[in-house]
Amino acid sequence: MVGEIFHFQQQHWHLLPQRAIFWEEEKALILSDLHLGKAAHFRKAGIAVPAGIVQEDLFRLQQLITQYLPTRIIIVGDMFHSHENNEVQYFRIWRQQFSNISVDLVKGNHDIMPDALYGQLQVTVHDTLTLRNIHFIHEPCEDSNGYQYTFSGHLHPAFVMHGAGKQRLRLPCFYFGRHCGILPAFGHFTGSANLDPYSTDAVFVIAGKSIIRAQ
Amino acid sequence: MQQRSGGWKVINKWLGDKDLKPFKFQEEAWKAYLQGKSGIVNAPTGFGKTFSLFLGAVIAWIDAHPKDYTHKTKNGLQLLWITPLRALAKDLGRAMESALQELDVPWEVGIRSGDTSVAIRAAQKKQMPEVLIITPESLHLLLAQKEYPKVFTRLHTVVVDEWHELMGSKRGVMVELALSRLKGLRREQLRLWGISATIGNLDEALEVLLGPYHNDGIIIRSKLKKKIALKSVIPDEMENYPWAGHLGLKMLPQSLPVIHDSQTTLIFTNTRSQSERWYQSLLVEDPMLAGALALHHGSIDMELRIWVEEALHNGILKAVVCTASLDLGVDFRPVDSVIQVGSPKGVARFLQRAGRSGHQPGAVSKIFFLPTHALELVEAAALKAAMEEELIESKMPVILAYDVLLQYLMTLAVSDGFHANEIWEEVRQTFCYQHLTEDDWQWLLAFLTTGGDALASYDEFKKIERTGDFYICRSRMMAMRHRLHIGTIVSDAMLKVKFMSGGYVGVIEEGFISRLQVGDSFTLAGRNLEYVLIKDMTVLVRKSNSKKSIVPSYQGGRIPLSSNLGRKLREKFNEALSRNTKDPELIALQPLFNLQEELSHIPQANELLIEQIQTEDGYHLFVYPFEGRLVHEVMAALLAYRIGRIRPITFSIAMNDYGFELLSDQPIPLTADNAKQLFSTDNLLTELQTSVNATEMARRKFRDIAVIAGLIFQGYPGKHKANRHLQSSASLLFNVFGDYDPQNLLLRQAFNEVFFYQMEEARLRETLERIAVSKIVITFPQKLTPFCFPIKVDSLRDTMTSEKLEDRIKKLITNG
Repeated sequence: MVGEIFHFQQQHWHLLPQRAIFWEEEKALILSDLHLGKAAHFRKAGIAVPAGIVQEDLFRLQQLITQYLPTRIIIVGDMFHSHENNEVQYFRIWRQQFSNISVDLVKGNHDIMPDALYGQLQVTVHDTLTLRNIHFIHEPCEDSNGYQYTFSGHLHPAFVMHGAGKQRLRLPCFYFGRHCGILPAFGHFTGSANLDPYSTDAVFVIAGKSIIRAQ
Repeated sequence: MQQRSGGWKVINKWLGDKDLKPFKFQEEAWKAYLQGKSGIVNAPTGFGKTFSLFLGAVIAWIDAHPKDYTHKTKNGLQLLWITPLRALAKDLGRAMESALQELDVPWEVGIRSGDTSVAIRAAQKKQMPEVLIITPESLHLLLAQKEYPKVFTRLHTVVVDEWHELMGSKRGVMVELALSRLKGLRREQLRLWGISATIGNLDEALEVLLGPYHNDGIIIRSKLKKKIALKSVIPDEMENYPWAGHLGLKMLPQSLPVIHDSQTTLIFTNTRSQSERWYQSLLVEDPMLAGALALHHGSIDMELRIWVEEALHNGILKAVVCTASLDLGVDFRPVDSVIQVGSPKGVARFLQRAGRSGHQPGAVSKIFFLPTHALELVEAAALKAAMEEELIESKMPVILAYDVLLQYLMTLAVSDGFHANEIWEEVRQTFCYQHLTEDDWQWLLAFLTTGGDALASYDEFKKIERTGDFYICRSRMMAMRHRLHIGTIVSDAMLKVKFMSGGYVGVIEEGFISRLQVGDSFTLAGRNLEYVLIKDMTVLVRKSNSKKSIVPSYQGGRIPLSSNLGRKLREKFNEALSRNTKDPELIALQPLFNLQEELSHIPQANELLIEQIQTEDGYHLFVYPFEGRLVHEVMAALLAYRIGRIRPITFSIAMNDYGFELLSDQPIPLTADNAKQLFSTDNLLTELQTSVNATEMARRKFRDIAVIAGLIFQGYPGKHKANRHLQSSASLLFNVFGDYDPQNLLLRQAFNEVFFYQMEEARLRETLERIAVSKIVITFPQKLTPFCFPIKVDSLRDTMTSEKLEDRIKKLITNG
């Protein structure tokens, strides 16, 4: 896996093909849109999607933790997909091995479980979060909001590239707009939406095991 | 003739009183029916196919109750009549009712379809009519009701109408499954009959209907023939003719004389968007048609369609622009001409459409062929030849449709539950599932009870419960959801279109609307509409005066050329080349052929033409096998894959029914030396499977499969928002199954459908074998040729690459 260190807003952002960012100055892993519990939610309703997705997603997170040794994990919304189910309990057990790391959740539209439950899972819930004047909020904003920079999720962004011979390629991406950056969805059982960035925006696509700057 | 029974005499007298005599095939059908046989009746439309079976059942009833048949009522369901079209049911029911009334048989005729009201359903539950006309979907809904076997305790006959239409589709599989259950319930007492138009594989159609193990099936063929007159409308100016005007609008003025000289004309187009454009352009060209011209296609409001059909009956319309929506169906007597715009792509479909005119027995069906681009004139010539030789296509039956079987098992589980062994025996007797393995069967049961391989003990999968051999669904919510989802016709999510001021226009694909901006104008049901907003799955619009309006394109509108027609087409090109033809179509095309010959070459039947052309778009390679777009799609992918092994290269691929194009940003290394090898049959299957496009094609197939198998939650009517957390796209499911459950049978089915139906592997192999003994002619035209132009302008494209992902991205970035 080859990441890309993006020096931006006087900070070092390690953009990782595992669909997360390691923020060097804060020793924080930033990710978004895990949608934990989504597969179980479907299966409970009689829709037989494969059962092993949550394990893989959390295993990937586990590998990132052991590699980058973060002190905190910032999740920019949609950590859980819906109501409580057994995959949420699976997360509780998984969580215990990293009880020294704090998990900060910036609430997304899918995060609808009761507050007490997040407490049991050792997850601190915020409406928004600001560190070093960097702001975290689930839904992206178009205009300046007074902070130095903002990170969001929600969209599950993908980028489409066109080229000679009428070629076309579509990949998940990290997006950095003028005021707001958008993270790719971390969870595997999630779709994606096409972005239409300005030419001045930075876009990094996730090409299998590496990160490539697309514009 | 044999001794006529009492019932037979009653029928003969009734017909005699009207100065009618049964056709020979009708008498043959009655005889076979009275002997207790099952089978298929094959006759052209307009000759009383319905009565060949319906009256058979009436004769048997009179014979069984000679004394009291005129006043015996409430006899329970005797005859089940399965029809693919709701619109057919009403007319059919009327015809049966009037016959019964005149015969003094007090049977009731009921209809059961998506349109049947709740009150009527409830009344039917209390007392079933003797005859029930039903769609395949509604029949499965009956099987999804508690205590459904009670409905069928007196049933002795099932007739499947338009079997040739149902057979090649998953709706046909639904019929096979329902029949297997009815046979299980009624055993020897059930007679099964199909009614079919002529198709290439009628014997196979019988096997599919009765199951591969039947032993007494009979096919009754009428000797009656429909006379068909085909005339091509040849463009006035051939040189200026657009080579690729898909819609054929330039030819529209030449259709007016046909419309004016006929009582009523049906104008068949191949897509809904084309029909919209034709409707509007006809009104512009001839404003006198206003009020006498109508539009009919699958996206138009049902009530409006019914109105159009009634108006056709009554002869108040001069012309109707329509799509396959009027292919089947009731006879509109006033229709005396049919115009086919663009290629019908197959002989069977062409005959079917021609048969929509001149419906009286003995009348001539008149059909005019109006080409949308010049080369289609060759198709007209080919069609004529194929019709003369009666080269009618076969319908390939669907096999091992796991998705439909999963849906069916769930249907049985939500009603009374089922014993797996009993159903297994029944299912194995069907044509579709005769080769279903025990392992696959166990997998399917597990998929419904434990949700596949559940790895973890904390899994909460819930659907069907199992006790020993007995499977049942006890969740009322899931049962309700399942009943709403029964069926195999999958369309893109459709939204209703309504005026702000009220008034329903029709339905439109969600995908199309999502590309519009508020204020944009689009065309539906022949009207210009301005998009205002979407609310509760409804698109609100107002009338628009905008000159510029977008015509929605609908998915799945493209029909591939059949192999029969492809072969005839190659023969006709040969004939054209001989300069020794009497076909007016080919003579008209001579200037175009001359240009093709001058710029490149016209391939003979034993040649394969390849053109290499360089334009500002890049390097083009055009290949012309004349095998239809499905085969071309696969061949193009295969060729791209094989060239990609010579050196890393990326292609975008386009195709039509005559040939295909590979377009690249670098020169394409195909030469006279390696051409033969690139088209060889060596390692065909493995190379097809490794080609990227197989996965992409399977992904498209998986969409329908996922919906049919109940993996896509479509929400409840009017309640779509409450379940947002259960929504996912089929494409996403395809990804997660591929990553986490690659052995999944539904995934395998998607690939099977690609290889057997879409790729038509057998046909591809034949084509390659033909090429192996052909001469390959490579030309390097200085500009685009008449042959390649229609392909080049096609915007639907696939991609095929052998370059590394990183390299491709880097190139795209530097070029973009």
